Amino acid sequence: MMRSVCDLLFVALLAVGCDKPTTATPPEPAGATQAEPVVATQAEPAAASTCDARQAELSAQADLLAKPWSIEQHLGKNFSDGKVSWLMKKDPYETYVVNSGARNFGRCDDSGCYLFAAPTAVIENAVVKSRTGATHDPAVLGQALGLPAKNFEGPLRMMTLDLDAAGSCVRLPMESDPGVWKCATAEDKDCFKFGGYTSGNVPEVMVIDAPVAQAVVTEIP
Amino acid sequence: MSEEQVLYHSPLLYRVLREASAALLIEVLVGGIATSAVRVHLDAQESATYAREGTSFSDRLAREIMARPGFGGRASDV
Repeated sequence: MMRSVCDLLFVALLAVGCDKPTTATPPEPAGATQAEPVVATQAEPAAASTCDARQAELSAQADLLAKPWSIEQHLGKNFSDGKVSWLMKKDPYETYVVNSGARNFGRCDDSGCYLFAAPTAVIENAVVKSRTGATHDPAVLGQALGLPAKNFEGPLRMMTLDLDAAGSCVRLPMESDPGVWKCATAEDKDCFKFGGYTSGNVPEVMVIDAPVAQAVVTEIP
Repeated sequence: MSEEQVLYHSPLLYRVLREASAALLIEVLVGGIATSAVRVHLDAQESATYAREGTSFSDRLAREIMARPGFGGRASDV
């Protein structure tokens, strides 16, 4: 099943001129400490079942703040196929993922590695829309994702992860998460607003310990 | 392009670099579902603090830059 979904993604991106996706095979990690996953119990919601005690507590706090919204509703509405994606510029990808031998994506501290991700279909559709000849139009990609065009200048890498296969903890992002840039005004873009949506209204989740080895990486020229 | 020496590569996704001129700078990955890198040159006081405190200071500085990627106009896109 995973294979066929990846093949479909590959075919879709080939149609817009992207190179073949590859599964990253990194050497040893850059130094992130891994937390032991907690075994799921019947009382736990599915999204929290792979979270350790700390992340489960944070997820509960986030759900309380978001009430009546929750990570379960969020995943059901916006991530029903269980696929998440995110984008990086090529050079930072090479520096911080490939050359560093990162084992997990995202910003890592002693409690885990923290990664913002969006529904694969949303990212994929934005990439398709932005296609222009041999490359992509950063302005179109930025507009589609509600982010500044400069975030998408130059070659990119699109990562895709099957959450079920990866078994990563997923919860609503919080202000205390590494990398959060809080919005100062209603007009601000590319900043964090609590509730599971970016300032550009794209659904997002916080993925904890997203394994590099299980991600499909697609080149976007 | 000038030669750079990587003084520290953090799993928090930033690097402290020394330029050929001996000036220090910090490169930080910023953003959420789409990430890119920005660079900030350390001023004399920040360089001294880094020399004194090491990565505890650079961790704080990186988090400040992640939280304000423009960093008061001091950050430049990579």
